[in-house]
Parts: sequence; C-alpha cells; structure tokens
Amino acid sequence: MAPRQPHKTADADTLTPMPLRYGDDPLLWAAWLYYEEGLTQSDIAEKMGLSRASVNAYLADARTRGIVNIEIAPEKFRALSIAQALRDHFNLQDCLIIPTEGDERPLIARLGAAGAQVLRRFVKSGDTLAVTWGRTVLALAEALDHPGLQDVRVVQATGGTTAKIPWTPEACASRLADALKARSIPISAPAIVTSAEMRAMLMQEPVLAEQLAILAEADRIVMGISSLRPESTIHSSGFLDGGVQHAHYQDAVGSIVGRFIGARGEPVIGPMQERTIGIELEALRRIPQRIAVAGGVDKVPAILAALRGGYVNVLVTDVVTGRGILTAEGYRDTPRRSPPADPAPLTARSHVKKLINAPQDAVDEALRGALLAHEDLIAALPDSPRAIRALDGPRPGKVGLVIGGGAGHEPGFWGYVGRGLADAAAVGNLFASPPPGPILAATQAVQGGAGVLYIYGNFSGDVMNFDMAAEIANAEGIPVRSVVTTDDIASSPIESRAARRGVAGNVFIFKIAGAAADRMMPLEACEAVVRRANARTYTMGLALEPGSLLETRRPSFDLGPHDMELGVGVHGEPGVVRQKLASADESADLLLDRILTEMAPQEGDRVAVLVNSLGSTPAMELYIILRRVRQRLKARGIIVHKSLVGPYYTSLDMAGVSLSLLHLDAELATLLDAPCRSAALTLP
Amino acid sequence: MTALHPPASALASGRALGPIDGMTALDSHQIVDLFRVIARRLAEARAELGALDGAIGDADHGNSMADGFAAVVRASAEAATRGSDVGDLFVVAGRSFLNAVGATTGPLYASALLRAGQRFAGQKTLAIADLPDLLAAFAAGISDRGKARPGDKTMMDVWGPAARAAEQPGPPRDRMARALRAAEDGRDATRTMVASVGRAARLGERSLGHVDPGAASAVIVIAALQEGLAHHLAQDRP
Repeated sequence: MAPRQPHKTADADTLTPMPLRYGDDPLLWAAWLYYEEGLTQSDIAEKMGLSRASVNAYLADARTRGIVNIEIAPEKFRALSIAQALRDHFNLQDCLIIPTEGDERPLIARLGAAGAQVLRRFVKSGDTLAVTWGRTVLALAEALDHPGLQDVRVVQATGGTTAKIPWTPEACASRLADALKARSIPISAPAIVTSAEMRAMLMQEPVLAEQLAILAEADRIVMGISSLRPESTIHSSGFLDGGVQHAHYQDAVGSIVGRFIGARGEPVIGPMQERTIGIELEALRRIPQRIAVAGGVDKVPAILAALRGGYVNVLVTDVVTGRGILTAEGYRDTPRRSPPADPAPLTARSHVKKLINAPQDAVDEALRGALLAHEDLIAALPDSPRAIRALDGPRPGKVGLVIGGGAGHEPGFWGYVGRGLADAAAVGNLFASPPPGPILAATQAVQGGAGVLYIYGNFSGDVMNFDMAAEIANAEGIPVRSVVTTDDIASSPIESRAARRGVAGNVFIFKIAGAAADRMMPLEACEAVVRRANARTYTMGLALEPGSLLETRRPSFDLGPHDMELGVGVHGEPGVVRQKLASADESADLLLDRILTEMAPQEGDRVAVLVNSLGSTPAMELYIILRRVRQRLKARGIIVHKSLVGPYYTSLDMAGVSLSLLHLDAELATLLDAPCRSAALTLP
Repeated sequence: MTALHPPASALASGRALGPIDGMTALDSHQIVDLFRVIARRLAEARAELGALDGAIGDADHGNSMADGFAAVVRASAEAATRGSDVGDLFVVAGRSFLNAVGATTGPLYASALLRAGQRFAGQKTLAIADLPDLLAAFAAGISDRGKARPGDKTMMDVWGPAARAAEQPGPPRDRMARALRAAEDGRDATRTMVASVGRAARLGERSLGHVDPGAASAVIVIAALQEGLAHHLAQDRP
C-alpha cells in the first residue's frame, strides 16, 4: 500500500507523473493502481490529481472498454446467475445455488450444509421453527451448530412415522433442536392415521391440540421436497400408504409436508388428505419464511411445482437442478454481458444440399439402387420389399440370422447380408425400426429348421417391433432368439449396460454371428457367442457437424463452430456432452481412453479396431485417427488383430467418427477371420 | 400420398344418419371420418413434431405419426366400405398403422387401436357416451406395450391423465374438454421431466426443458378427436 497522505492538497508538485509504461492512458494507470496495487479510490485521486468521482468514472470506463475484465470462476458465475434468475422468476426472498459436482461429499450432504448456512443467517432468538423430514433435512440438521440463540422452538411439521429410516420427522426435529439448543416440540401422533374419524378424535386431545397450535405460530419452516419417482425415498417413508398412491395420486408430481401437489402446484386431494396429521398446504403458505432444501434432476418437476404453488420462498438447490427448473420454465442461459465481438462464424449450414428426388421416396430408391448394385449378393423378398435376403447363405440345418433397423445407416443393414454374415435384413423408414411385417417375412424366408437369431441395436422401437415379430414366429413354430446389442459406452453408465445403444460395433457382432451360423453351430451356441461378442465390443462416437434430415434439409441439432459433440449415436441425435473442438489425436485419445478404461485389456491381448465414418467424414481423417489409435494400442502392448476403416455404419451426412474395439478371445478371433462375402464386408 | 380431407364435421353432416343413433353414436364410416381429422392434423404438424423430436431424438416422430394415421385412414375406409363393424375397424386400423411405420410409435399406437378393437368388438356403433372408454383403451394399450410410468417423459404423461380426466362423470362434451385440458397439462409437464425411457433417455438432464414429441402428438390426436366429434358433442345436452 502506498502511504496515505490525507491532508496534502493535490497540486502540480505533489502529483506523481504518469509512469511511461502506461503510455498516455490515464484509464490504464488508474485501473492498474486500483486492481493491481490495491490503492483506494481516494489514494488514486490524490496521486493523479483528480477528484474521487473522476477516478470512479475512470474505473467504470476501464471495465466497459475491456481494459479490466472481472472474471468470476465460471462455475461460481453460473451458480450466481441461476440463483438470480430463480429469485426473479419465482419472486423468492432468497436463493442459494451450490455446485452440483463438489468435494467428495454426496450432493445431499452438501445441500444440507448449504441449508444450514442459510438457516444460520435467518433464524433468530424467539423464533418458532417448523421442520419436515427427509434425507436432506436431516443432513441440514446434522450440519448445523448454532447454539447462541434464546427461546427458539423447533416444532415438527407433521406427525411421526415408524418407518425404518433415519430421517423420520421426530429425528429431524430433535436433531435440529439440539443444533440450535432449542426446545423441541413433537407432534404426538402418527403422520398418517387409519381414518378421518381417528384424526378428528386425536386432534381434540389437548396435548396434540397444543402442539398443533404452536405449529400454527411458526415463523419459518425448513422443508424437503420429495419427488414421486420410483427411486424416491418417499416410498419407504410411511407417508405413502401402500398402494394408495396409484389410485389417487397419479396426477401428483411431488410431495411437501406430507401433502401432494400437481405440476402447477395445485393440491392433489386423495383419501389420505383427511388421514394426515400435520400442517396443511394453505397454512404452509401463511408461514412468513419457507425454506426448501432439495436437489437432483429427478426432483425438477416436484421443486418446480412447489415454486409455482408458492409454497417456497427461500430455495437451496444445486446448479444442475436449478438450471433444470429454469429450462423447464423456458429460460435460456444468456451470455454474460456482451461477449467480445467474435469473428463471424463461417456461414452456418442452414440448408444442406442433397442429391435426392422426393424425400419420401429416398429410402426406397436408395434400397433399389443397392439391390441393383449388388444383385449378385442380395435380393428383396417378392412380397416384402423391405426384407432383403442373401442369395447365397441360407440353407437347411443352418441357424437363420436376421438383422435390421432403420434406414440412414447405409451400408447398414443390407451391406451385411451375404454368405458368412446375415441371411436377411429388415429395413425400416429413416432412423425408424421396421414394423414386424418385413422382420417376420425375412424370418420365414431364411429359416432352415434350426431356428432364427435376431440381432439389432438397443432402441425401444426396434425392441418392440422385433419382439412382436418373434412372438408371431414362435407361435408359427420357428424358434427365435434375440440379441440386443449395447456397444455404445457413452449412452449409459457401466452399471446400466443393458440400457446402452447398439451402434457401429454391430459390424463386429454381425460378423461373429454370421461366422458362427455359417459353421452350423446350433441356435443356443450362436446366441451365446454373440452375447459374448456384444459384451466385449465397445464403441464411442463424436460429431463435428450434425446430420441433416431429408425433408427439412436442415441440421438436426445446433453445434457451434468451435464445438464438437461427444457420445453421439447413429440417428443424428445430439450426444452426451459438448466440448471444445479437439485435434485428431486428442479426439482419438478421448474415445480410446474411455474405451480402454472399460475394457481393461491386459498386455498381449488382441483387439479388432473399427474407425467408422458417421457419413461425411472423409477417409483421410479416418486414417489419421486409426494411426493414433494404433500408436496408443502399441504403447499399451495390445495386439491389433484386424483394422477396419471406412463408412461402415453411418448416420446420413453427419460429420464425425466412431471408434469400436472388439476385445478378442481365441474363439472370437477365429470367427472374425472366417471368410464372408457381402456388399460391405468381404474376407477371403 | 396423403389426400387432405375437409374436417370430419363437414363430411359427417353430409352423410345420411339414422334418426336415433345419428347424434349419440358413430358408425364405422363416421369413425373413419374421425381418423381423417386426426390424420390431417398430424400431417399439418409433421414438421413441427419433427423439430421437437430433433431436439432430443432423431426427428422421425412427425413422419411416423402422420404416415401411420394416413395408413389408418386408407385401410379403415376400405374396411368400412366392406361393412366392418366398429371393433374390426379398430383392429384393421391398428394393423395398418403398425405395418406403415414400425418405429416406436407403430407398436404403441397399434396396441392402442387393437385394444379399442377388443373393447368395441362386435359393436355396430360406438356410442358417444362410451368415448371415455376409447381414451381408456388407448391409454391401456400404450401403457402395456411401452411400459412407461408416469413421469418418464413419454406419451403416457398425456394419455394417462387424459384417460383419467375423461373417466370423471359428466356429459361427454365436458368429459372430452377435461381430457383435452389434462392432455395439454401433461404435455407441458414433460418439459420438467428427465427422459428415462426411449431414445431421449440417453440425453439425461439435457432433455429437460424440451417437450416430449410423443406427448405433443398425443395432444394433437386428442384435440383432433374432440374436433371431429364437435358436431356430435354439441348435441349431447337437451
């Protein structure tokens, strides 16, 4: 700090001349003195021979002219702006938003700590504080330690429960009372009683009447908000009386103070209404301060309903939940102030040129072309033009292999129909599962008395349509087994592998299946080896540009000029996360690192590699990626048994790649090497 | 391709109607007219539904719905001309929807229509008073096939509340109006939900703020039902 000289009058002699390094820019100098040297505005005024008001104006000017940029850490900035928007939108007294990802403590513990901080700020001597129940409320009570107040009463907002959970109303109230050194007032009755008559009788008991009277005097309430989703703890709380929920509470999206509310915050009245002992929603709204602590995206509908209903006027939640509430209300993130003028992005692709005739004819016309191009390999069934059969392959005693899915993945799926591969493929509309009709026709055409195996990617439409075809085929006496492929590791965490999509890794899985069937392995054995191949295939994709649909000829989602989308599927849909555009090697590493983490190969293990174009990424870029993948695998000591590079499984004209690795074992390697002949894959 | 037809009220009023059941029940031809209104409204919404779907799915939903109901109109018109009763008409409609589109909507709406076919099996007419049963049959068929629960951000978040709203007693016109209101509320509520089944499920929290396209098209179907029935519903009170 510069020494203060408060009584000195500024005149020419005492003025510090502006050091040369600031050029002749007094704004820059003032900003430097203020932000870097920490001088006060008065000190600067003295040094520069200006009034304090001028210095103040200089500093403001320095900010608007971009000489000074005040950076708030992005995560904190987001939390602040979301809190502000929630406050404004729902007319809240206050709002605290914490980061969703934080230290190693679980979200509930961190929400509890934040709630405790809020409560410490507001609670005063002489307060009557009502409290509900739940994990977050208990976490708040446990995080609170605020003994200095006097004459505070903590009162349960509802009756109690005997549920075997640690966060009962009784536990939450007494823990909170301890933390505040307050008097704890229970509600000496169950939250849910057996009948309305019982409730009426109980409410006349003087003890309970007195407790409820204290509850009616509450100055504040601390409450959790419960969703009614299957994973919600409300189902084990005792507040939902068995099956009652389904009959009467289907229109409820959440629960507060043991009562149920609909999407707009309106009370949902059911048979439990008259059997619940505790504060009612109308009375809740009359409590001057109503602090809700709740987070998690599954709670967005419930929290939003509570906000819309006006049951909350102080909200504590996390960034993702807060943003979810706002987006559900139609709010969009606004850029902070005016961002520095970005060089204008290259012409945005708003209209994509395509070589098609009528959009609605494109799928059939392309299919007809493919059949002509490969007329030595495949043909459509006479009565079912979307069922494509191999000319060579299906034969008596062999398991029939039927694959399929929507159009738009060319050369999927007809490209994998042929000797040593699939016997038939059913092709749907663009990115839409084929109906059961062509699947069943294909099944009947290629079955050779040994049963039929279906292989398709895990999409709800494909599952329903293939299942319906399988039901009919089974009823006709054709045994059908299905393997639903799930190789896309980006689409769901490893714990829920069965929920993952099936994408380009299908090429390997089709190949393994085709070879197994071609060797006349029985249905069960084919199914088993294909399941193993699926379990050992890992795919992850990234997009540089979205694809564009035939009708609209517009990109199917927006992707900024400097962004790429990670975890994309094969239907032009957005991916899992967006990030800054990376180089080929960085991109290859991103995909490979995720795959290797899950695959966990040992040194000396063998893999097959597929670098697949999602449509418009050229061969040159694919080979650059393959080069990096091979380099990394070599460094890991992993042997690459086979490399495929090209547009094997596309997503119309999406620009991007997917990387698939099949973790081979001896049998899978043999099956992968077996000869095959089809439009998209031929091995000698 | 899909021929566009005038609204069903105009078509229906031009047809010779029986003196008693003309206003209180629909025959097979009148049900085909209802399908025409649905098909037309879905065709108009083709692009809009596609854009909704593009945000969180693969943008095929508008086409699937429009093509599906266009096929329903063709097949059911033919069946009505052959003299199919109401039950058979719904069965034919279900099969034609399924075979026209597949996709996810195919099995779901096929199940809805087939369930309605079971409910009205053997009936020559569909009584206006039984309309709530039609919604209930649709909801049950879709729910059994798709297994979606309330709050999963699917078309069930529209069909479930709509069917329940229609079950509340009252004149058919009021019940349909309530069903449509519940349907619209359900559609808007999908904005607040995180998808947990179907293709959008892979987007997780990124699906927040988007209306589910299946929910949006379900509202169009229910609104079109009400529109197509306006003429009949207007008569339901003395």
